[in-house]
Amino acid sequence: MTRPDRTIETPSPSPARGTAADGAATMPYPLVPERQRTAGRLRRAFARKLAIYTGVAATSAVLLFPLYWMLVTALSPRTRLREFPPRLWPEEPQWDVFHDLLATQPFGRWMWNTSLVALSTMILSLSVSVLAAYALSRHKLRGGQSLGLFILTAKMLPATLMVIPFFVIFRSVGLVGSLWSVVLAQSTLIVPFATWMLKGYFDTIPDELEQAALVDGCSPLGTIWRIVLPVAAPGLAATALYAFVLSWSDFLYARTFLTTSQSKWTLNLGIATLKGEFITDWNVIMAGSLMAAAPIIVVYLFLERFLVGGLTAGAQK
Amino acid sequence: MASIEFHGITKSYDGTMKALSDFSLEIEDGAFCVLVGPSGCGKSTALKLLAGLEPANSGRILIDGTDVTDLGPGKRDIAMVFQNYALYPHMSVRSNMGFGLKMRSIPRAEIDRKVEEAARLLELTDYLDRRPRALSGGQRQRVALGRAIVREPKAFLMDEPLSNLDAKLRVQTRSEIVRLQQRLGVTTIYVTHDQTEALTMADKIVVMRDGVIQQIGAPDDLFHTPANIFVAGFIGSPGMNFFRGPIEFEGEAGFTRLAGARVRLAPAANDLAAIGNGEAVFGVRPEHMTVNGSEEGLPLTLALVESLGTEKILHFDMPGAEHAVMSGEENDSARRSGLLARVIDDRRYRAGDVIRIALPPEKIHVFHPETHQVVP
Ligand SMILES: Nc1ncnc2c1ncn2[C@@H]1O[C@H](COP(=O)(O)OP(=O)(O)OP(=O)(O)O)[C@@H](O)[C@H]1O
Ligand SMILES: [Mg+2]
Repeated sequence: MTRPDRTIETPSPSPARGTAADGAATMPYPLVPERQRTAGRLRRAFARKLAIYTGVAATSAVLLFPLYWMLVTALSPRTRLREFPPRLWPEEPQWDVFHDLLATQPFGRWMWNTSLVALSTMILSLSVSVLAAYALSRHKLRGGQSLGLFILTAKMLPATLMVIPFFVIFRSVGLVGSLWSVVLAQSTLIVPFATWMLKGYFDTIPDELEQAALVDGCSPLGTIWRIVLPVAAPGLAATALYAFVLSWSDFLYARTFLTTSQSKWTLNLGIATLKGEFITDWNVIMAGSLMAAAPIIVVYLFLERFLVGGLTAGAQK
Repeated sequence: MASIEFHGITKSYDGTMKALSDFSLEIEDGAFCVLVGPSGCGKSTALKLLAGLEPANSGRILIDGTDVTDLGPGKRDIAMVFQNYALYPHMSVRSNMGFGLKMRSIPRAEIDRKVEEAARLLELTDYLDRRPRALSGGQRQRVALGRAIVREPKAFLMDEPLSNLDAKLRVQTRSEIVRLQQRLGVTTIYVTHDQTEALTMADKIVVMRDGVIQQIGAPDDLFHTPANIFVAGFIGSPGMNFFRGPIEFEGEAGFTRLAGARVRLAPAANDLAAIGNGEAVFGVRPEHMTVNGSEEGLPLTLALVESLGTEKILHFDMPGAEHAVMSGEENDSARRSGLLARVIDDRRYRAGDVIRIALPPEKIHVFHPETHQVVP
């Protein structure tokens, strides 16, 4: 029984309609080109992905190469450091270098001092800049805009320019040799920029959120604490990271204010003293530097989850 | 639950332009009062003053007979639904709704009970543990409502709570809010710029313009006896027709002329004479322009027909130069240059037809041409 008028439904052309080639040629939307079109689209998507990943991989390689080279240098024996051509990985990695460093130098002490400086600077500058940024963002003072810009100009002064006035001030109040000198000096540099960063973030939080909290019976300070800060968490995390990294990597101020009191040395200061006048054990210095960089990575990993944007999503509409 | 009173409130943000001037209003306990007016007329400002979020320049505000003018927002025991909801984005729906109670140191168990009860009422039970960003617009709107009702406040203030919803959801939520308010019996002030919302929801409507109250009344009062041209044009859709015309007398009766024909007016002759300059602005609602089968009535030329099935809006050319363009009026109908009629019948209309229209005298509103106030 033949039903020539329904052959279109069957995948293979019926004998009544001739050969397969005929069938394909007469169909209004031939199957094969359609499949080719899909394949083409897939191929383009794949090519784009490949390009993106290649780009990311190349950038990462460039950025991570110094770290890798630090590790190679740290693990190479002292005598092999100037070998040419350089080796990509030492034949016998000298893992002892870390152990020796910890044993011969007060490395733990330096680490502790640096942590104190970085954490105190972070807390101090964040507390100050949160309040300043909130005031700049919420209270429309006359000249608030220019005040904000003026604050930012403080950021333009190079740190070296400030060293001498700082030294004079700290000496007169007896802070030279105290970790507080570094904390205060670093905070002075960090607060302006942190204030600016946070103001930008606070500006994105709608006034109505705070008004809702006020109507709900929250106090004005409670509103900052319970509403503004949690919503600004990504901004806070970014600012905290900025303050932490900057003060952790301080060398200039520690070198100026802390040199005389050895028990107050920070990591960067301590590691710098490993550089000898005649011989320098670069592998030891690199091992120290690697250990000094590790906490920044840890702090970053901890704060990273707050750095995602869009926390205000869902507040409105 | 409480009564609310504004006494002579004046508010200016910048010291020059008045967002509210001499604003006085009394709202009875349990009433649903709607503030309506064009954008920028000071509706939100009135709510913010009542909530304590903005200070007034002068005047007093009373809630439940107590002067609250100098109290902070947290101490007035009112709840507010914001135009864009202002949900706390970092809290779950449950914490959002319970926040006000938590701030008032209500025990945890009681907060949970009240939140769950409100969630049941608003059908939010399944969403209690979600963050606002994972909700649809309508659900967010209900969370904002829920946050207000769990508090069992003295009054609800709602600032255009439906303006972000699509048309269908808006109509549905409109009746839900009214039912909720009737059930809870809480005094409510509701702000909108949509006169349909005002007419369908309110016990009492306050029409505002440029910070000044134009008229206060029940929906019917505003519709049938508007106090001035602004209110007449603002309430109703499509808005009232206006035309300018002379005032003539024949014995005790007053007349005007439109399209060459005499049109009888209802007000007493001496009230009409009191207008003074022999001219007035007249208003007729499109609903009251009736199509006359007979040869009587005004002959008007049909310019356009908008058909919505059986209901039709007929657009007529304004006969002669009698249209009354009121410059400075915010509402469109006062600036319209034709006449509209709204009819429900099965007749077929075609542009160009001449239609006989009857204007019942008692449906013609007479307004003073300068003051724009109605002539009684
Ligand atoms: N924070 C403010 N600072 C200065 N002027 C303001 C402020 N808020 C409102 N205004 C002004 O006060 C007037 C009334 O504003 P309001 O917000 O009360 O209007 P509205 O009736 O709520 O309008 P809409 O329907 O657009 O919400 C407007 O002219 C507005 O520009
Ligand atoms: Mg508003």
